[in-house]
Amino acid sequence: MNQKTQGSRLEIQSVNKFFGDFCALKDINLTIEPGELVCFLGPSGCGKTTLLRIIAGLEHQSGGLLHQGETDISLKPPRERDFGIVFQSYALFPNMTVTDNIAYGLRSIGMPKAQVRNRVDELLALVGLEDQASKYPAQLSGGQQQRVALARALAPSPGLLLLDEPLSALDAKVRQHLRGEIRSLQRQLGVTTVMVTHDQEEALAMADRVVVMNNGVIEQVGTPLDIYQQPASAFVASFIGAMNFIDSAPLNGQRVKVGNHELDLIRPLPTAEGCIQLAIRPEDVHLLPSGDGEWEGEVRALDYLGAFIRTLIRLSDIELDLVVDVDPRSARRLDLRVGSCVCLNLPSDALHCFAA
Amino acid sequence: MSESDPSKFSMIDSPALSKPTTHNRPTLAELRRRLAGRWVFALLLATGCGILILLVLAPLYTLLSKSVENKAGDFVGLENFAHYLSTGGIESAFFNSLWVAGLSTVIVVSLAFMAAWALTRTRLPITGWIRGVLILPILAPSLLPAISLVYLFGNQGVLKSWLFGAEIYGPIGIIMGSCFWTFPHALMILLTAMDNADGRHYEAATALKASPWRTFWTVTVPGARYGLVSAGFVVFTLVITDFGVPKVIGGQFDVLATDIYKQVIGQQKFEMGAVVSVLLLLPAMLAFIADRYVQRKQSASFTARSVPYRPRQDRKRDALGALMLTPTLVFIFAIIGMAIYASFVTFWPYNLDLSLNNYQFGRMDGGGWGAYTNSLQMALGTMVVGTVLVFFNAWLMERTPQSRLLTGVFQFLSLLPLAVPGLVLGLSYIFFFNHPDNPINGIYGTLFILILCTVTHFYAVSHLTAVTALKQLDQEFEAVGESLNASRWRVLFTVTLPLCLPAILDVALYLFVNAMTTVSAVVFLYGHDSQLASVAVLNMDEAGDIAPAAAMAILITATCAVAKLIQGVLRFWVDRSTRAWRQGTE
Repeated sequence: MNQKTQGSRLEIQSVNKFFGDFCALKDINLTIEPGELVCFLGPSGCGKTTLLRIIAGLEHQSGGLLHQGETDISLKPPRERDFGIVFQSYALFPNMTVTDNIAYGLRSIGMPKAQVRNRVDELLALVGLEDQASKYPAQLSGGQQQRVALARALAPSPGLLLLDEPLSALDAKVRQHLRGEIRSLQRQLGVTTVMVTHDQEEALAMADRVVVMNNGVIEQVGTPLDIYQQPASAFVASFIGAMNFIDSAPLNGQRVKVGNHELDLIRPLPTAEGCIQLAIRPEDVHLLPSGDGEWEGEVRALDYLGAFIRTLIRLSDIELDLVVDVDPRSARRLDLRVGSCVCLNLPSDALHCFAA
Repeated sequence: MSESDPSKFSMIDSPALSKPTTHNRPTLAELRRRLAGRWVFALLLATGCGILILLVLAPLYTLLSKSVENKAGDFVGLENFAHYLSTGGIESAFFNSLWVAGLSTVIVVSLAFMAAWALTRTRLPITGWIRGVLILPILAPSLLPAISLVYLFGNQGVLKSWLFGAEIYGPIGIIMGSCFWTFPHALMILLTAMDNADGRHYEAATALKASPWRTFWTVTVPGARYGLVSAGFVVFTLVITDFGVPKVIGGQFDVLATDIYKQVIGQQKFEMGAVVSVLLLLPAMLAFIADRYVQRKQSASFTARSVPYRPRQDRKRDALGALMLTPTLVFIFAIIGMAIYASFVTFWPYNLDLSLNNYQFGRMDGGGWGAYTNSLQMALGTMVVGTVLVFFNAWLMERTPQSRLLTGVFQFLSLLPLAVPGLVLGLSYIFFFNHPDNPINGIYGTLFILILCTVTHFYAVSHLTAVTALKQLDQEFEAVGESLNASRWRVLFTVTLPLCLPAILDVALYLFVNAMTTVSAVVFLYGHDSQLASVAVLNMDEAGDIAPAAAMAILITATCAVAKLIQGVLRFWVDRSTRAWRQGTE
């Protein structure tokens, strides 16, 4: 495949969705650039699937506008929109062969037979299923079915590809493999892609930008790195990766007080009054031999997780358990054992702070 | 391009759309959008509702209003009911019906549970054949066991002495006959409940050192409890509303069903027929509501993680299973065998030579061969009209965008016939369609009204089968279709229908067999040119031509057996040609 489909730009303006009294989506604004892969990430019930279905026209927004390219699609039924979709269940037609499934959309638009043949062959080659063309979905593995669903969605060359938890029905290994495959296919075709997932690892690995959602609102939009390193809210911080939270009181300027300790922050405080929450990732905490650091603690538990050791450390000053990830070599150097005493520092450049 | 369509812009410019809305009422634009493309489907389902209102609700209403009117049509309140009460109808017919139906239910459910246990929890050979034989009674009209019982235990019966002087004409005969024809209904429900047992539960019981007896009471019975309750309600309703068995073998023993018939056909007291109908409607409705309530509580205990149960080799247990199946099998063979034999005997009991005399229906009253061809036409008509109507409506309800209200109304109307006894339905059709003010009263007395009535009578079960099949399909098929530019219609014909073919065949057979064998609803509705075979059995029996009645009953059964055979062949063919996509690599 050398032809590059021009992906379309998608603009979502002030979209709301109510189910009765329940507000499923609240004032969603988002622009997705041509060729971009955007992941909607959030816990179940956060509204991510509803938003995807609104983009597809399978649900109707209660208010707001949608533009695809220059076209206003807010009021168009799904058949008049330009998208392909892959569902979690794939929804392959079980009574049709792989070929017939892929050709389904092409026949809908009345494409001549010969052209259909060529296009199907192209797609089969693209997803690497040339030798499975005459099989039925039930005769394929989960990963193969997934690729057929993808090929079927891509066959009519849509400007927009929608993926609804496309990998969650697969084994961990297949999932990891297909992740890369979908990503490179998407880059190759240049099709604008929206993917819904609740798996943060998947979102961080695949997306150009991640849209983190919670309770019907967008918490943060950013590149995977942004989202991880500069979470915009306590929710994002805790949802993406692991995070320790420490209650503290603001002093003057950028100083805060935690127990008997005073800390300088490099970021401005979110509020001048009331409590604020400090946050630090387990891998950002510095462990030091006993007596060398600012904070004293006792090792409560050690979990060997292969590449690193997840340690639970009780801070004696403030009676708080802190999760700290240590690499095995440092752990040996510090002679970490359950019950042993250690010291630690909380580097100010790694400290996040949120309004409590 | 249509994007510049000014009418769209006017909506977009409305403030509710350009600013975030804080209220939750749908905007005008949203309402318009909801309707766009959906009104066709809404209209079609509304039409479906309209048809069912015409075929179920309106006739029932006419019947109810008749029960509170006198012969002249004046409103008299509950006077008719008081009259029925004072003539002793309640004491005799109503309570007779209740206890006969209750006792039959206990017997049938016990026998069916024993049979289902033997078929699913032992490793008996040829269970496929045994299942086939046990289901056989469903192909026969309910009149057949009654006639057979007359030959077996009647005044000139071969086994009369077995009753120790008791009369077969009365409750004993009704209960035995009812047990015969309702048995397959109970068995099928229990087999469904017990076929999908989770093997892990049995392994857990074994690991916890439970005896087989304790395992039976703590695993097997609880697993089948919803099936048992459901089978109980079904059998009770079938027996209490059945008219064929008590008519033939009930003698002087009154039940509600025969009482309706007597009031209407014998004494032409239509308003009293309506009264008894209401009394019969009550227990049937109660059983229906109770069954629905139980079904709602039932959740699938067999999940994707379950491992199918495989009984272990155990000779003693197999012997026990055989023991439990034997009485039922003997009973079924005896009843059917006797009917076949009697139909060929020249002149019972004086000339036992075999001949085809009894099959020369032209010499008898009751409609002759014409009745048989009428029945065939009616059954085929019911099959075609019913299958199309049921599937199309079920598809509209399950697979097209519909408002919850309309779906709820339609579901109620579709299930309602399950609660309406055939006789009651038939009588209400007289009131409704024979009314001089009804614009379509011309269909009264034709085959067409028989078809409509029979489709209605058996609508609910067909509807449930269709809905179950449609629900099993991936919910996103239509959405995928839309994204690929295919209309719901195209998805219907290229995906939905092919996938539902087995269920369609099942519904078609169900409608055909029931249309061939039913008596209750149609007995009030046939006209001079639309006599039916099942009704002919009744009329010949009434006229004393009991051997020809047996012959006609056998002919009906044979016809149904052929239909079942054809359906079996078609299903085999469908299964074989679709095996690749059903079972995967196997």
